[in-house]
Amino acid sequence: MQNGITVTLSGPGLAETMRALLTRLIELGARAERMDSEITARLGEGAGFACRLLARNGVIVVADAAAVTPEGDRLDVEIDPNDTPDFAAEKILDQLAEEGLIDLELNDYDPQEEEQVRKRLADLGYIE
Amino acid sequence: MTVSTTKKAMIIGLDCATPQFIFGPKAFDLPNMRRLAERGCWGKLESSHPPITVPAWASMTASKDAGELGIYGFRNRKDYSYDGMFTANGNAIREKRLWDILSRAGKKVAILGVPQTYPVRPVNGWLISGFLAPDTNADYTYPKAFKKEFEEAIGEYIIDVKDFRTDDKDGLLERVYALMENRFAAARFLLETRPWDFFMMVEMGLDRLHHGFWRFCDPEHPLFEPGNPYEHVFRDYYQAVDRHIGALLEYADEDTLLMVVSDHGARAMHGGVRVNQWLLNEGLLSVTDDLSEEKRFEDCAVDWSRTRAWSSGGYYARVFFNVEGREPEGIIPQSEYEPFCEEMVARIESMTDPEGRPLGNKAYRPKDLYRTVRGVAPDLIVYFGDLGWRSVGAVGGTDSIYTFENDTGPDDANHDYHGIFIMADAGTNGGGLERTGLHLMDVAPTVLDRMGVPIPADMQGRVIGAKE
Repeated sequence: MQNGITVTLSGPGLAETMRALLTRLIELGARAERMDSEITARLGEGAGFACRLLARNGVIVVADAAAVTPEGDRLDVEIDPNDTPDFAAEKILDQLAEEGLIDLELNDYDPQEEEQVRKRLADLGYIE
Repeated sequence: MTVSTTKKAMIIGLDCATPQFIFGPKAFDLPNMRRLAERGCWGKLESSHPPITVPAWASMTASKDAGELGIYGFRNRKDYSYDGMFTANGNAIREKRLWDILSRAGKKVAILGVPQTYPVRPVNGWLISGFLAPDTNADYTYPKAFKKEFEEAIGEYIIDVKDFRTDDKDGLLERVYALMENRFAAARFLLETRPWDFFMMVEMGLDRLHHGFWRFCDPEHPLFEPGNPYEHVFRDYYQAVDRHIGALLEYADEDTLLMVVSDHGARAMHGGVRVNQWLLNEGLLSVTDDLSEEKRFEDCAVDWSRTRAWSSGGYYARVFFNVEGREPEGIIPQSEYEPFCEEMVARIESMTDPEGRPLGNKAYRPKDLYRTVRGVAPDLIVYFGDLGWRSVGAVGGTDSIYTFENDTGPDDANHDYHGIFIMADAGTNGGGLERTGLHLMDVAPTVLDRMGVPIPADMQGRVIGAKE
């Protein structure tokens, strides 16, 4: 099983970036969990250990640095105030891909779109 | 070599803009591009192999050749099966392109209509994808929510020219102009409303115009008729593009690096070589179909046990070998691959035209063209008539390997090896010098250099100085 990691976020736009990152991770087929103040309040002192357990089982945990001090492997990210949440998330995905924790393969055309584009390319003469 | 550091950069991409209409003795009167060239430098820009929109723009913006990108055209083999193909949209590009690198350096980017940007990926700014988006129902902008504001401002975004294969030339011309007007309106909207450090756009209309009207405009085209009603559509269209470029330059200040570039050129197309029919005639390909009428090769039942090679058509040919242990029913022993390849190169390059004169074909092995060969490359990349002839995949109807009718409808032009490059460097007088030896992979490192952003070590291009 592929290892996970805990990504601890801090800085402006944290909630929006966390949401964007979780959305993209799920789109990419990764197993991901949120660890924000609501979750850590329920887990209490065990939240940091839960991060280790989840990561050890291949989950990428996206945590609020102010709400938990995770145990185990972690990637600390200070959000750049100039970045939009989506772009901040994209930069984190780059780092995770470099660590070999995710594959940046995106969803491709659906079959109908593929055929639509294939026909256009044939019409334009690029392919036959 | 760093000449000066600029704060901003603007690249105006003109798909298929052709050097002879902009620089040479046949150049049209294009005052804005001329002034830019006189202020900076200019020259022919060597395209990618193959010189096709995909992979050319990606090669330019990532500064990687097609082999390194693993993209050899719009449609690529995904594996060594006979029918596993994928369309090389934005997902196929794993390398960071200019806007990705600049985004990560904190620069605000505004990207419009660049091929292979769909599906969109987040950038530090705004991105409107190009013609590989299926339609405008798709999420073709970044951010996704930007689409509404964008469409309210410019109306419907025209992704490409519809009904391109037509004899209704008036209608086609109207649609090509509409594409151009729409694209430049979108550009002005972005430049006016977004705080950009790096702007790049690609206008596709010139490519569509060349393919649709070359025979009417080029006296060297075999079907040219003097005095035809479309004789000056190239001139008029290039001049309209030039006026739009002039309007965009108003948004650049003296700290802006300006480039006008194209991904490849164009030339008259003299006919088509029916490459699979040639392979049939040579006994290298076998199909079980009745070939009394012409058929698309894709619709044929291939007898793979008797097939050594097959090909895909387009502006160039991709020839694939049926190799034992590689293809499911391969018959060429691995040990015979190299001699077979050499034999095929020799046979293809010795082909003649209908009058028995050498066609001037070029057949390349990927390993001879690229630094690295990724993905599933064709075994040979072939340019018929040195790009003066198109590759036609259809078989049957006749044994002739030549055709003067495109099997998919009217098309008068093929691509050519060189596009254009004009650069005006902020604060530097380039002296209007013509530069030689430029390659489209030089564009990305040049922009990064001028903007003071580190150039990734694996970029293949070199920095173009203003004068040397």
